[in-house]
Amino acid sequence: MQDPELLQEGLGLMALGMGFVFVFLAILVFALTFMSSVIRRFQPAPAPAKPATKASSAAAATAQDDEKMAVISAAVHRFRTKKRR
Amino acid sequence: MDKLVTLWEGSGLYNLELGQVVMVAVGLLLLYLAIYKKFEPLLLVPIGFGGILANIPEAGLALSALDQAIEVGRPAVLEQLASALGGSLDSQASVDSWRTSLQQMMANGATAEQIASAKAVANGSGYGDGLLYMFYTVAITSGIAPLIIFMGVGAMTDFGPLLANPRTLFLGAAAQFGIFATLFGAVLLSSMGWMDFSLNQAAAIGIIGGADGPTSIYVASMLAPELLGAIAVAAYAYMALVPLIQPPIMRLLTTQKEREITMTQLRPVSKLEKIVFPVLLLILVALFLPDASPLLGMFCFGNLMRECGVVERLSDTSQNALINIVTIVLGLAVGSKLMADSFLAIETLGIMTLGIVAFGIGTTAGVLMAKLMNVVSKMPINPLIGAAGVSAVPMASRVANKVGLESNPHNFLLMHAMGPNVAGVIGSAVAAGVMIKYLG
Repeated sequence: MQDPELLQEGLGLMALGMGFVFVFLAILVFALTFMSSVIRRFQPAPAPAKPATKASSAAAATAQDDEKMAVISAAVHRFRTKKRR
Repeated sequence: MDKLVTLWEGSGLYNLELGQVVMVAVGLLLLYLAIYKKFEPLLLVPIGFGGILANIPEAGLALSALDQAIEVGRPAVLEQLASALGGSLDSQASVDSWRTSLQQMMANGATAEQIASAKAVANGSGYGDGLLYMFYTVAITSGIAPLIIFMGVGAMTDFGPLLANPRTLFLGAAAQFGIFATLFGAVLLSSMGWMDFSLNQAAAIGIIGGADGPTSIYVASMLAPELLGAIAVAAYAYMALVPLIQPPIMRLLTTQKEREITMTQLRPVSKLEKIVFPVLLLILVALFLPDASPLLGMFCFGNLMRECGVVERLSDTSQNALINIVTIVLGLAVGSKLMADSFLAIETLGIMTLGIVAFGIGTTAGVLMAKLMNVVSKMPINPLIGAAGVSAVPMASRVANKVGLESNPHNFLLMHAMGPNVAGVIGSAVAAGVMIKYLG
Protein backbone atom coordinates (compact mmCIF):
# COMPACT_ATOMS: atom_id res chain seq x y z
CA MET A 1 0.00 0.00 0.00
CA GLN A 2 2.08 2.83 1.33
CA ASP A 3 5.22 0.79 1.73
CA PRO A 4 6.47 0.61 -1.87
CA GLU A 5 6.03 4.35 -1.99
CA LEU A 6 8.22 4.83 1.09
CA LEU A 7 10.82 2.52 -0.38
CA GLN A 8 10.79 4.42 -3.64
CA GLU A 9 11.14 7.72 -1.87
CA GLY A 10 14.06 6.38 0.16
CA LEU A 11 15.76 5.23 -3.01
CA GLY A 12 15.13 8.61 -4.61
CA LEU A 13 16.59 10.48 -1.64
CA MET A 14 19.62 8.19 -1.66
CA ALA A 15 20.35 8.82 -5.36
CA LEU A 16 19.67 12.55 -5.09
CA GLY A 17 21.67 13.02 -1.92
CA MET A 18 24.68 11.01 -3.02
CA GLY A 19 24.65 12.68 -6.41
CA PHE A 20 24.48 16.13 -4.90
CA VAL A 21 27.26 15.49 -2.41
CA PHE A 22 29.49 14.33 -5.25
CA VAL A 23 28.62 17.22 -7.54
CA PHE A 24 29.12 19.79 -4.79
CA LEU A 25 32.47 18.40 -3.71
CA ALA A 26 33.57 18.09 -7.35
CA ILE A 27 32.77 21.79 -7.83
CA LEU A 28 34.73 22.48 -4.66
CA VAL A 29 37.72 20.54 -6.02
CA PHE A 30 37.72 22.63 -9.19
CA ALA A 31 37.25 25.87 -7.29
CA LEU A 32 40.11 25.00 -4.93
CA THR A 33 42.47 24.01 -7.72
CA PHE A 34 41.64 27.22 -9.58
CA MET A 35 42.01 29.35 -6.43
CA SER A 36 45.36 27.80 -5.58
CA SER A 37 46.72 28.29 -9.08
CA VAL A 38 45.62 31.93 -9.15
CA ILE A 39 47.10 32.64 -5.75
CA ARG A 40 50.33 30.90 -6.60
CA ARG A 41 50.64 32.89 -9.79
CA PHE A 42 50.28 36.25 -8.05
CA GLN A 43 52.09 35.30 -4.89
CA PRO A 44 54.73 32.92 -6.14
CA ALA A 45 55.80 30.00 -3.95
CA PRO A 46 55.31 30.74 -0.28
CA ALA A 47 58.46 28.88 0.73
CA PRO A 48 61.01 31.20 -0.93
CA ALA A 49 59.00 34.23 0.15
CA LYS A 50 59.95 33.71 3.79
CA PRO A 51 63.74 33.50 3.33
CA ALA A 52 63.49 36.58 1.13
CA THR A 53 61.92 38.65 3.89
CA LYS A 54 64.38 37.21 6.35
CA ALA A 55 67.28 38.05 4.06
CA SER A 56 66.09 41.60 3.61
CA SER A 57 65.65 42.06 7.34
CA ALA A 58 69.06 40.52 7.88
CA ALA A 59 70.50 42.92 5.34
CA ALA A 60 68.78 45.79 7.08
CA ALA A 61 70.22 44.56 10.35
CA THR A 62 73.75 44.58 8.98
CA ALA A 63 73.26 48.07 7.63
CA GLN A 64 72.08 49.15 11.04
CA ASP A 65 75.06 47.44 12.60
CA ASP A 66 77.41 49.35 10.29
CA GLU A 67 75.87 52.60 11.34
CA LYS A 68 76.12 51.65 15.02
CA MET A 69 79.70 50.64 14.47
CA ALA A 70 80.50 54.00 12.97
CA VAL A 71 78.83 55.88 15.78
CA ILE A 72 80.54 53.81 18.45
CA SER A 73 83.97 54.10 16.89
CA ALA A 74 83.46 57.82 16.49
CA ALA A 75 82.55 58.12 20.13
CA VAL A 76 85.51 56.03 21.21
CA HIS A 77 87.76 58.09 19.04
CA ARG A 78 86.44 61.31 20.54
CA PHE A 79 86.75 59.94 24.06
CA ARG A 80 90.34 58.98 23.46
CA THR A 81 91.28 62.26 21.83
CA LYS A 82 89.62 64.11 24.75
CA LYS A 83 91.59 62.06 27.28
CA ARG A 84 94.86 62.74 25.55
CA ARG A 85 94.42 66.41 26.02
CA MET B 1 0.34 9.62 60.32
CA ASP B 2 -1.22 11.31 57.30
CA LYS B 3 1.88 13.42 56.87
CA LEU B 4 4.06 10.34 57.03
CA VAL B 5 2.01 8.76 54.25
CA THR B 6 2.35 11.91 52.12
CA LEU B 7 6.09 11.88 52.62
CA TRP B 8 6.24 8.21 51.62
CA GLU B 9 4.07 8.81 48.59
CA GLY B 10 6.32 11.65 47.54
CA SER B 11 9.51 9.61 47.82
CA GLY B 12 11.45 8.32 44.86
CA LEU B 13 11.20 4.75 46.05
CA TYR B 14 7.40 4.81 46.05
CA ASN B 15 7.13 6.31 42.59
CA LEU B 16 9.93 4.43 40.89
CA GLU B 17 8.86 2.68 37.72
CA LEU B 18 10.64 -0.21 36.05
CA GLY B 19 11.42 1.86 32.95
CA GLN B 20 13.13 4.50 35.05
CA VAL B 21 15.25 1.88 36.79
CA VAL B 22 16.37 0.55 33.42
CA MET B 23 17.14 4.05 32.15
CA VAL B 24 19.17 4.89 35.23
CA ALA B 25 21.11 1.70 34.55
CA VAL B 26 21.64 2.86 30.95
CA GLY B 27 22.92 6.19 32.28
CA LEU B 28 25.32 4.38 34.61
CA LEU B 29 26.48 2.22 31.70
CA LEU B 30 27.24 5.36 29.67
CA LEU B 31 29.19 6.79 32.61
CA TYR B 32 31.12 3.53 32.89
CA LEU B 33 31.96 3.56 29.18
CA ALA B 34 33.04 7.19 29.38
CA ILE B 35 35.10 6.97 32.56
CA TYR B 36 36.70 3.54 32.39
CA LYS B 37 36.74 2.88 28.66
CA LYS B 38 37.39 6.52 27.66
CA PHE B 39 34.57 6.52 25.09
CA GLU B 40 34.23 10.18 24.04
CA PRO B 41 34.19 11.17 27.72
CA LEU B 42 33.60 14.85 26.95
CA LEU B 43 30.14 14.02 25.64
CA LEU B 44 29.20 10.77 27.28
CA VAL B 45 29.76 11.96 30.85
CA PRO B 46 27.22 14.81 30.54
CA ILE B 47 24.85 12.64 28.47
CA GLY B 48 24.96 9.75 30.92
CA PHE B 49 24.52 12.00 33.93
CA GLY B 50 21.73 13.90 32.19
CA GLY B 51 20.06 10.58 31.49
CA ILE B 52 20.11 9.72 35.19
CA LEU B 53 18.78 13.16 36.13
CA ALA B 54 15.97 12.88 33.59
CA ASN B 55 14.74 9.65 35.15
CA ILE B 56 14.51 10.74 38.75
CA PRO B 57 10.91 9.98 39.64
CA GLU B 58 8.62 12.92 40.54
CA ALA B 59 11.37 15.52 39.89
CA GLY B 60 10.40 15.98 36.25
CA LEU B 61 13.69 17.62 35.34
CA ALA B 62 13.23 16.80 31.68
CA LEU B 63 9.57 17.83 31.47
CA SER B 64 7.90 21.11 30.58
CA ALA B 65 5.74 22.82 33.20
CA LEU B 66 2.60 21.43 31.61
CA ASP B 67 3.83 17.84 31.40
CA GLN B 68 5.02 18.09 34.96
CA ALA B 69 1.63 19.31 36.16
CA ILE B 70 -0.02 16.38 34.39
CA GLU B 71 2.49 13.88 35.78
CA VAL B 72 2.53 14.92 39.42
CA GLY B 73 -0.26 17.48 39.90
CA ARG B 74 -2.95 17.21 42.57
CA PRO B 75 -6.48 16.20 41.47
CA ALA B 76 -7.72 19.80 41.71
CA VAL B 77 -5.00 20.95 39.32
CA LEU B 78 -5.81 18.12 36.95
CA GLU B 79 -9.44 19.18 36.81
CA GLN B 80 -8.43 22.74 36.00
CA LEU B 81 -6.11 21.48 33.28
CA ALA B 82 -8.89 19.36 31.78
CA SER B 83 -11.23 22.31 31.59
CA ALA B 84 -8.48 24.44 30.05
CA LEU B 85 -7.96 21.77 27.42
CA GLY B 86 -11.69 21.72 26.71
CA GLY B 87 -12.32 18.21 28.02
CA SER B 88 -13.73 16.64 31.14
CA LEU B 89 -12.50 13.91 33.46
CA ASP B 90 -14.49 10.84 34.47
CA SER B 91 -15.18 11.39 38.17
CA GLN B 92 -15.40 7.63 38.79
CA ALA B 93 -11.92 6.87 37.42
CA SER B 94 -8.66 6.92 39.38
CA VAL B 95 -6.24 9.83 39.38
CA ASP B 96 -3.76 7.84 37.30
CA SER B 97 -6.27 7.35 34.52
CA TRP B 98 -6.96 11.10 34.67
CA ARG B 99 -3.32 11.68 33.93
CA THR B 100 -3.32 9.36 30.90
CA SER B 101 -6.52 10.88 29.56
CA LEU B 102 -5.00 14.35 29.93
CA GLN B 103 -1.96 13.20 28.00
CA GLN B 104 -4.25 11.87 25.30
CA MET B 105 -6.04 15.22 25.16
CA MET B 106 -2.66 16.90 24.65
CA ALA B 107 -1.64 14.49 21.93
CA ASN B 108 -4.94 14.43 20.03
CA GLY B 109 -5.64 17.83 18.67
CA ALA B 110 -5.67 20.35 21.46
CA THR B 111 -5.52 23.74 19.78
CA ALA B 112 -2.66 26.13 20.37
CA GLU B 113 -4.84 28.39 22.52
CA GLN B 114 -6.04 25.51 24.66
CA ILE B 115 -2.45 24.41 25.26
CA ALA B 116 -1.45 27.96 26.08
CA SER B 117 -4.22 28.30 28.64
CA ALA B 118 -3.34 24.90 30.13
CA LYS B 119 0.23 26.13 30.39
CA ALA B 120 -1.00 29.18 32.25
CA VAL B 121 -2.86 26.89 34.66
CA ALA B 122 0.29 24.85 35.24
CA ASN B 123 2.41 27.93 35.80
CA GLY B 124 -0.26 29.39 38.04
CA SER B 125 -0.26 26.33 40.28
CA GLY B 126 3.47 26.57 40.78
CA TYR B 127 4.93 24.24 38.17
CA GLY B 128 7.93 25.44 36.19
CA ASP B 129 9.87 23.99 33.30
CA GLY B 130 12.41 21.39 34.40
CA LEU B 131 16.10 22.22 34.31
CA LEU B 132 16.97 19.77 31.57
CA TYR B 133 13.88 20.79 29.60
CA MET B 134 15.11 24.36 29.62
CA PHE B 135 18.58 23.28 28.52
CA TYR B 136 16.98 21.31 25.72
CA THR B 137 14.83 24.23 24.57
CA VAL B 138 17.68 26.72 24.64
CA ALA B 139 20.41 24.53 23.24
CA ILE B 140 18.81 22.05 20.87
CA THR B 141 15.30 23.14 19.87
CA SER B 142 16.79 26.44 18.80
CA GLY B 143 19.60 24.59 17.01
CA ILE B 144 22.20 26.81 18.63
CA ALA B 145 24.37 24.32 20.51
CA PRO B 146 25.33 22.07 17.59
CA LEU B 147 26.04 25.14 15.48
CA ILE B 148 28.34 26.72 18.07
CA ILE B 149 30.16 23.42 18.43
CA PHE B 150 30.52 23.33 14.67
CA MET B 151 32.07 26.80 14.81
CA GLY B 152 34.56 25.54 17.38
CA VAL B 153 35.35 22.54 15.22
CA GLY B 154 35.97 24.93 12.32
CA ALA B 155 38.33 26.93 14.50
CA MET B 156 40.23 23.75 15.38
CA THR B 157 40.50 22.40 11.83
CA ASP B 158 43.55 22.91 9.66
CA PHE B 159 42.61 22.68 6.00
CA GLY B 160 46.24 22.68 4.86
CA PRO B 161 46.36 18.97 3.89
CA LEU B 162 43.09 19.29 2.00
CA LEU B 163 44.26 22.40 0.13
CA ALA B 164 47.51 20.70 -0.79
CA ASN B 165 45.64 17.78 -2.33
CA PRO B 166 42.05 18.82 -3.15
CA ARG B 167 41.23 15.52 -4.85
CA THR B 168 40.94 13.87 -1.45
CA LEU B 169 37.56 15.62 -1.29
CA PHE B 170 36.25 12.77 -3.43
CA LEU B 171 37.15 10.33 -0.67
CA GLY B 172 35.16 12.41 1.79
CA ALA B 173 32.24 12.38 -0.65
CA ALA B 174 32.37 8.61 -1.18
CA ALA B 175 32.32 7.88 2.54
CA GLN B 176 28.98 9.70 2.80
CA PHE B 177 27.47 6.70 1.04
CA GLY B 178 27.25 5.28 4.56
CA ILE B 179 24.63 7.93 5.38
CA PHE B 180 22.40 7.26 2.41
CA ALA B 181 22.78 3.48 2.45
CA THR B 182 21.68 3.49 6.09
CA LEU B 183 18.74 5.72 5.26
CA PHE B 184 17.71 3.16 2.68
CA GLY B 185 18.30 0.37 5.19
CA ALA B 186 15.98 2.03 7.69
CA VAL B 187 13.31 2.48 5.04
CA LEU B 188 13.75 -1.15 4.00
CA LEU B 189 13.33 -2.33 7.60
CA SER B 190 10.08 -0.44 7.98
CA SER B 191 8.72 -1.55 4.60
CA MET B 192 9.34 -5.14 5.65
CA GLY B 193 7.35 -4.38 8.75
CA TRP B 194 10.14 -5.04 11.28
CA MET B 195 10.42 -1.48 12.48
CA ASP B 196 8.35 1.61 12.02
CA PHE B 197 10.40 4.50 10.70
CA SER B 198 9.09 7.41 8.66
CA LEU B 199 11.29 8.87 5.92
CA ASN B 200 12.28 11.74 8.23
CA GLN B 201 13.31 9.34 10.95
CA ALA B 202 15.22 7.21 8.45
CA ALA B 203 17.15 10.29 7.31
CA ALA B 204 17.99 11.26 10.89
CA ILE B 205 19.24 7.73 11.57
CA GLY B 206 21.29 7.69 8.38
CA ILE B 207 23.20 10.80 9.39
CA ILE B 208 24.83 8.75 12.17
CA GLY B 209 26.96 7.42 9.30
CA GLY B 210 28.40 10.92 8.93
CA ALA B 211 30.31 10.19 12.15
CA ASP B 212 29.85 13.76 13.17
CA GLY B 213 28.19 14.43 16.51
CA PRO B 214 26.96 18.02 16.06
CA THR B 215 25.66 17.31 12.55
CA SER B 216 23.75 14.26 13.78
CA ILE B 217 22.18 16.21 16.63
CA TYR B 218 21.32 19.13 14.37
CA VAL B 219 19.61 16.96 11.77
CA ALA B 220 17.85 14.81 14.36
CA SER B 221 16.52 17.88 16.17
CA MET B 222 15.06 19.13 12.89
CA LEU B 223 13.73 15.93 11.36
CA ALA B 224 13.05 13.52 14.23
CA PRO B 225 13.40 15.03 17.72
CA GLU B 226 11.74 11.97 19.26
CA LEU B 227 14.72 9.83 18.28
CA LEU B 228 17.38 12.36 19.27
CA GLY B 229 18.52 10.58 22.42
CA ALA B 230 19.18 7.26 20.74
CA ILE B 231 20.76 8.89 17.68
CA ALA B 232 23.15 11.05 19.70
CA VAL B 233 24.17 8.16 21.92
CA ALA B 234 24.74 5.93 18.89
CA ALA B 235 26.73 8.61 17.05
CA TYR B 236 29.08 9.35 19.95
CA ALA B 237 29.46 5.75 21.09
CA TYR B 238 30.36 4.55 17.61
CA MET B 239 32.72 7.48 17.06
CA ALA B 240 34.61 6.19 20.07
CA LEU B 241 34.54 2.73 18.53
CA VAL B 242 36.07 3.82 15.22
CA PRO B 243 39.45 2.23 16.12
CA LEU B 244 37.65 -1.09 16.54
CA ILE B 245 35.15 -0.90 13.66
CA GLN B 246 37.41 0.34 10.87
CA PRO B 247 40.66 -1.68 10.84
CA PRO B 248 39.12 -5.10 10.02
CA ILE B 249 37.22 -3.59 7.09
CA MET B 250 40.32 -1.75 5.90
CA ARG B 251 42.46 -4.90 6.04
CA LEU B 252 39.81 -6.95 4.30
CA LEU B 253 39.52 -4.60 1.35
CA THR B 254 43.20 -3.87 0.68
CA THR B 255 46.21 -6.01 -0.19
CA GLN B 256 49.51 -5.79 1.68
CA LYS B 257 51.02 -4.09 -1.37
CA GLU B 258 48.35 -1.39 -1.43
CA ARG B 259 48.76 -0.69 2.27
CA GLU B 260 52.50 -0.12 1.70
CA ILE B 261 51.99 2.63 -0.88
CA THR B 262 53.89 5.74 0.15
CA MET B 263 52.39 9.03 -0.90
CA THR B 264 54.26 12.02 -2.26
CA GLN B 265 54.87 14.72 0.28
CA LEU B 266 52.27 17.48 0.48
CA ARG B 267 53.21 20.85 -0.93
CA PRO B 268 53.35 23.79 1.48
CA VAL B 269 50.14 25.83 1.50
CA SER B 270 50.33 29.61 1.73
CA LYS B 271 48.51 31.59 4.39
CA LEU B 272 46.49 33.43 1.75
CA GLU B 273 45.11 30.16 0.41
CA LYS B 274 44.02 29.16 3.89
CA ILE B 275 42.29 32.49 4.39
CA VAL B 276 40.50 32.38 1.05
CA PHE B 277 39.31 28.78 1.51
CA PRO B 278 36.53 29.35 4.10
CA VAL B 279 35.23 32.33 2.13
CA LEU B 280 35.22 30.33 -1.09
CA LEU B 281 33.43 27.42 0.57
CA LEU B 282 30.84 29.78 1.99
CA ILE B 283 30.21 31.32 -1.42
CA LEU B 284 29.72 27.88 -2.97
CA VAL B 285 27.31 26.90 -0.19
CA ALA B 286 25.38 30.12 -0.70
CA LEU B 287 25.16 29.48 -4.43
CA PHE B 288 24.28 25.80 -4.45
CA LEU B 289 22.86 24.66 -1.13
CA PRO B 290 21.57 27.43 1.17
CA ASP B 291 20.06 24.78 3.44
CA ALA B 292 23.52 23.72 4.55
CA SER B 293 24.46 27.31 5.35
CA PRO B 294 23.73 27.24 9.11
CA LEU B 295 26.16 24.34 9.58
CA LEU B 296 28.78 25.22 7.01
CA GLY B 297 28.43 28.95 7.63
CA MET B 298 29.40 28.59 11.27
CA PHE B 299 32.11 26.14 10.28
CA CYS B 300 33.61 28.57 7.78
CA PHE B 301 33.35 31.43 10.25
CA GLY B 302 35.27 29.45 12.86
CA ASN B 303 37.92 28.52 10.33
CA LEU B 304 38.29 32.08 9.07
CA MET B 305 38.83 33.29 12.65
CA ARG B 306 41.57 30.70 12.99
CA GLU B 307 43.37 31.43 9.76
CA CYS B 308 43.07 35.20 9.41
CA GLY B 309 45.41 35.67 12.36
CA VAL B 310 44.02 38.99 13.58
CA VAL B 311 41.37 37.70 16.01
CA GLU B 312 43.45 35.30 18.10
CA ARG B 313 41.25 35.91 21.14
CA LEU B 314 37.99 35.04 19.39
CA SER B 315 39.49 31.97 17.79
CA ASP B 316 40.90 30.88 21.15
CA THR B 317 37.54 31.34 22.88
CA SER B 318 35.58 29.45 20.25
CA GLN B 319 37.89 26.45 20.30
CA ASN B 320 38.27 26.30 24.07
CA ALA B 321 36.01 28.08 26.54
CA LEU B 322 32.91 28.44 24.39
CA ILE B 323 32.92 24.92 22.95
CA ASN B 324 33.38 23.50 26.45
CA ILE B 325 30.46 25.44 27.90
CA VAL B 326 28.22 24.45 25.03
CA THR B 327 29.31 20.83 25.29
CA ILE B 328 28.16 20.68 28.92
CA VAL B 329 24.74 22.13 28.09
CA LEU B 330 24.39 20.01 24.95
CA GLY B 331 25.31 16.81 26.76
CA LEU B 332 22.80 17.39 29.55
CA ALA B 333 20.13 18.35 27.03
CA VAL B 334 20.70 15.16 25.04
CA GLY B 335 20.52 13.24 28.31
CA SER B 336 17.05 14.66 28.87
CA LYS B 337 15.91 12.66 25.85
CA LEU B 338 16.93 9.41 27.53
CA MET B 339 13.50 8.94 29.08
CA ALA B 340 12.08 5.50 29.51
CA ASP B 341 8.93 5.91 27.42
CA SER B 342 10.78 7.08 24.32
CA PHE B 343 14.11 5.26 24.67
CA LEU B 344 12.99 1.79 25.70
CA ALA B 345 11.59 0.74 22.36
CA ILE B 346 12.55 -1.77 19.72
CA GLU B 347 13.38 1.21 17.49
CA THR B 348 16.37 2.10 19.68
CA LEU B 349 17.82 -1.33 19.01
CA GLY B 350 17.27 -0.73 15.30
CA ILE B 351 19.03 2.63 15.50
CA MET B 352 22.01 1.10 17.28
CA THR B 353 22.32 -1.66 14.67
CA LEU B 354 21.82 0.68 11.70
CA GLY B 355 24.38 3.08 13.17
CA ILE B 356 27.17 0.54 13.20
CA VAL B 357 26.20 -0.60 9.69
CA ALA B 358 26.42 3.03 8.60
CA PHE B 359 30.00 3.32 9.87
CA GLY B 360 30.95 0.10 8.14
CA ILE B 361 29.45 1.08 4.80
CA GLY B 362 31.02 4.55 4.96
CA THR B 363 34.45 3.06 5.57
CA THR B 364 33.98 0.55 2.76
CA ALA B 365 32.90 3.21 0.27
CA GLY B 366 35.85 5.43 1.18
CA VAL B 367 38.42 2.68 0.76
CA LEU B 368 36.90 1.51 -2.54
CA MET B 369 36.87 5.08 -3.86
CA ALA B 370 40.55 5.45 -2.99
CA LYS B 371 41.31 2.24 -4.89
CA LEU B 372 39.39 3.56 -7.88
CA MET B 373 41.29 6.86 -7.79
CA ASN B 374 44.52 4.90 -7.65
CA VAL B 375 43.64 3.21 -10.92
CA VAL B 376 42.61 6.43 -12.64
CA SER B 377 45.22 8.94 -11.50
CA LYS B 378 48.99 8.99 -11.72
CA MET B 379 49.66 10.20 -8.21
CA PRO B 380 49.69 7.23 -5.84
CA ILE B 381 46.99 7.16 -3.17
CA ASN B 382 47.15 4.76 -0.29
CA PRO B 383 43.65 3.24 -0.05
CA LEU B 384 43.81 3.33 3.75
CA ILE B 385 43.27 7.09 3.79
CA GLY B 386 39.91 6.54 2.12
CA ALA B 387 38.63 5.17 5.39
CA ALA B 388 39.29 8.56 6.99
CA GLY B 389 36.56 9.99 4.76
CA VAL B 390 33.99 9.26 7.46
CA SER B 391 34.82 12.47 9.40
CA ALA B 392 35.30 11.52 13.10
CA VAL B 393 38.21 13.98 13.17
CA PRO B 394 40.94 13.15 14.09
CA MET B 395 40.25 9.61 15.24
CA ALA B 396 39.79 8.19 11.73
CA SER B 397 43.08 9.71 10.53
CA ARG B 398 44.92 8.16 13.44
CA VAL B 399 43.40 4.80 12.59
CA ALA B 400 44.53 5.09 8.95
CA ASN B 401 48.00 6.08 10.16
CA LYS B 402 48.19 3.13 12.56
CA VAL B 403 47.07 0.53 10.04
CA GLY B 404 49.54 1.99 7.53
CA LEU B 405 52.41 1.77 10.01
CA GLU B 406 51.62 -1.89 10.65
CA SER B 407 52.38 -2.66 7.01
CA ASN B 408 55.27 -0.28 6.55
CA PRO B 409 56.83 1.20 9.69
CA HIS B 410 58.24 4.15 7.74
CA ASN B 411 55.01 5.20 6.09
CA PHE B 412 53.33 8.02 7.99
CA LEU B 413 49.87 8.62 6.58
CA LEU B 414 48.53 10.96 9.27
CA MET B 415 48.80 14.22 7.32
CA HIS B 416 47.58 12.57 4.12
CA ALA B 417 44.57 11.15 5.95
CA MET B 418 43.67 14.55 7.42
CA GLY B 419 42.64 15.68 3.90
CA PRO B 420 39.79 13.16 3.43
CA ASN B 421 39.05 13.45 7.13
CA VAL B 422 38.12 17.12 7.02
CA ALA B 423 36.55 16.56 3.60
CA GLY B 424 34.26 14.11 5.39
CA VAL B 425 33.11 16.88 7.74
CA ILE B 426 32.18 19.05 4.77
CA GLY B 427 30.60 16.08 3.01
CA SER B 428 28.37 15.13 5.92
CA ALA B 429 27.30 18.74 6.39
CA VAL B 430 26.37 18.88 2.70
CA ALA B 431 24.47 15.59 3.05
CA ALA B 432 22.66 17.06 6.05
CA GLY B 433 21.75 20.10 3.98
CA VAL B 434 20.32 17.93 1.21
CA MET B 435 18.20 15.97 3.66
CA ILE B 436 16.87 19.09 5.38
CA LYS B 437 16.10 20.59 1.97
CA TYR B 438 14.32 17.43 0.81
CA LEU B 439 12.38 16.63 3.98
CA GLY B 440 12.33 19.77 6.13
